[in-house]
Amino acid sequence: MKTIYKLTATLVAMGEILCFCGAVPIGAAQSSTNNLPFPLIERFENFGAKDGLPTHKVHCVLRASDGKLWVGTYGGALFRDNGKFHLISTNDGLSHRMVMCMVEDKRTGDMWLGTMRGLNRYSAGRITTYTQTDSGLPNNVVYGLDIMDDTLWVATAAGLGALNLKTGSWSIYDQNNTVMHEPWVYSVTGAKDRVFVGVWGGGILEYEPASGIFKEHRDPDRDFHFDLAPDDGPVSDITSWVAWEDGVLWQATYFGMSRYDGSRWRTWQETKSPLPSNFVNFIWPHGRVAWVGTDCGLSTTDGNIWVNYRTDEHGDGIMEIARPGQPMETRKMTTALPNNFVLGIWVDDREAWLATSDGLAHAFLSPTQSATKVAVDQ
Amino acid sequence: MKRTALILVCLLATGAAGWGAYEEKEDTNTNYAAEPILKPDAPSVQKSEGDYPYYGNVPPDLLPYRNIEPYYRYWLTRLPFRGPGRDYPAPADLKSLKVGLLSPPPYGPESARGEMSKKGVMLAFEEANAARKAGELPFEVIEKADSPQWGSAANIAVEFSDNDVLAFIGTIDGNATHVALRVVLKTETFMVNCSDPDPSLTETQIPWLLRDFPDNRQQGYLLAHLIVKERELRKIVVLRGNSRPGRMGVRPFVDAVRRLGHPVLQEINFKDGDRRFDTQVAVIQQADPDAVVFWGNPTETGLAAAQLRAAGVKAAFFGFDRIVDPEFIKLAGPAGAEGVTAAYFFDPNKTDAAWTNFVARFQARYGLKPDIYAAYAYDGAKMLIAAIKKAGPNRYRIRDEMTSLDEYNGVTGYMRFDGRWDNIAPIVYAEYRGGKWSYFPEANLKRVKTAQN
Repeated sequence: MKTIYKLTATLVAMGEILCFCGAVPIGAAQSSTNNLPFPLIERFENFGAKDGLPTHKVHCVLRASDGKLWVGTYGGALFRDNGKFHLISTNDGLSHRMVMCMVEDKRTGDMWLGTMRGLNRYSAGRITTYTQTDSGLPNNVVYGLDIMDDTLWVATAAGLGALNLKTGSWSIYDQNNTVMHEPWVYSVTGAKDRVFVGVWGGGILEYEPASGIFKEHRDPDRDFHFDLAPDDGPVSDITSWVAWEDGVLWQATYFGMSRYDGSRWRTWQETKSPLPSNFVNFIWPHGRVAWVGTDCGLSTTDGNIWVNYRTDEHGDGIMEIARPGQPMETRKMTTALPNNFVLGIWVDDREAWLATSDGLAHAFLSPTQSATKVAVDQ
Repeated sequence: MKRTALILVCLLATGAAGWGAYEEKEDTNTNYAAEPILKPDAPSVQKSEGDYPYYGNVPPDLLPYRNIEPYYRYWLTRLPFRGPGRDYPAPADLKSLKVGLLSPPPYGPESARGEMSKKGVMLAFEEANAARKAGELPFEVIEKADSPQWGSAANIAVEFSDNDVLAFIGTIDGNATHVALRVVLKTETFMVNCSDPDPSLTETQIPWLLRDFPDNRQQGYLLAHLIVKERELRKIVVLRGNSRPGRMGVRPFVDAVRRLGHPVLQEINFKDGDRRFDTQVAVIQQADPDAVVFWGNPTETGLAAAQLRAAGVKAAFFGFDRIVDPEFIKLAGPAGAEGVTAAYFFDPNKTDAAWTNFVARFQARYGLKPDIYAAYAYDGAKMLIAAIKKAGPNRYRIRDEMTSLDEYNGVTGYMRFDGRWDNIAPIVYAEYRGGKWSYFPEANLKRVKTAQN
């Protein structure tokens, strides 16, 4: 579970950005940028095989509380220290090469890595693995992780696992003890006193551990081949990712995306909104702004204003700004995403890291307005 | 040793639970849009535009919410794969072209069908290897059998990736296929399905799957049309398996007859392995239906048919493809089997050269006649072989070849693929009279025009 960012930290971060952003700030030069409710990306710095990444495909990325960057790829996990990537592979004890998701236990500094064959805890340089045959892990294919209080929540191909980090005991939530018809869990996110679970074909489950109550959020038309009406609930029952922050739940699907603020749903699909593609892989919420990874690039939105980033067919970076009732504003960037297929995102007030199907990108944000201020304002 | 034994015991215990643990659940979500009840002849107002305007080959009067133009419609065009990979070099020191085969558990309810499917796949690859030209790499099939644990197929799909397969084929059970499909999206390995009838499989928007096996949607629409429109039967009861395939498979039929103005009176379940159907028979007797529709495996449905007739139920019997099976006929007995009508895929007595030559080759290789599982598996494997030969050993280009298919002529007949790569070619229905099945093309069922109809 992410923490809510403090304004003071933002001010410090903004000062740092002003220091290290040497590139031409194309956003800052244009006054129209100033009325955006979130920062723009000014430039990308990309990393690939030449920098020590073992594969093209990068699944996930996060910056740990000690400042170290962690990267999950098709060929192992990496951490970046002093500007260099260090690979953690199956030779080091990682249970499988494909690292799909990561979460840090901020209290201990332990990093939890979900792979296609088991869960791994990286603690002080040592790896401990958990598989379905030697622990309570429901299935070896781990798609999502989150930590809330003393519990590590694990989304697997055959159920939701909950590891009590104090006692080491496991609980399994599946079709036998929840309202799930099938235990095809794809994602999990903590939300203060509850957990939201993205279920493949089952919409979103809302679970209150204190009461033990499960609640379903489903697509009201119950049909996959169309969406009958907008803003009526989850855009689809096939959930690819869920994320929560500041009272807002975001749902990614391959049919568009949805937002739920506790009372009202909103939905977005390509051609009906500025969302560039229905194929939404990942959402990272920061304040009340969503950073959205699709197969057509990266989007940032507060639900009303959208900024989309993509690399065009010539390899140039393109930024598109969509404001309600106004024509789309298109700008050419000096740098570009390494690839439009965005699989993972990590953002704070001063930078973003993007995992793509063809490398890793470091995005430098404009200092014009911070995401934190947006959250506070709203 | 002790630990291995413990794990085995645990696996067996979970396995047993995997088969037996399915329980029907009420939908606890109350936030749904009830479908309006329309007059059966109310026309559809929905526009069908785009490259693939025939989703699932649904007849216009069976479309859901057909009095409303939906806000957003999917699969009018095909979802592309926009990631990289097409220019990745072929692996060095390649000694064979590896293809995976995900088979059902060898000791489970789908094992016999899985065995026939495997025979069809292996025949296609044996023929391809026998016809190999000098310098061409041989195909190598890596078979892995599923286990009845939920999620086992996901682990196997990962193993296929670890084995560097270029693509894989499988499987029959909808649960297993679904979980494997989610993995292939991550491993980016194409999957060909030749035997899973679950309508929802291809509705998951994963552009790494093609299914050449007509699913339960096609059968449901045909049966609804036959029962309500052709034979004008009004009181309909469904007797189906209490399983995910039962719940998901019969849904298109149940929805279709409701849209035709004659919702099912009762949808009654049984469990796989049941042998007595006293409760179900009593309920059906009380409903006094015109038609009973069976959805389940041949043993259970055959026994149920016999017990219904013995109890004096005179309704016409209908079913999905699995009742076109000698086991159903044997257990239903003459009274239960006579006059039964089933949706089926194609006429296995057809005499076109592609089919008869395949039957002859299959019989020569295995000493038995192929069934539909062997035939669709053979066609699926042939499609994949052609794609690999054309694309070379690159998973992304193989995907592109497979997903560019609109039509295909195989030993099973003509195939037409929709916007989700589902085979929606017209199917047939079968009637059992006088000790044999006869097959008829679907009549007066308004479907999409294709080259073959």
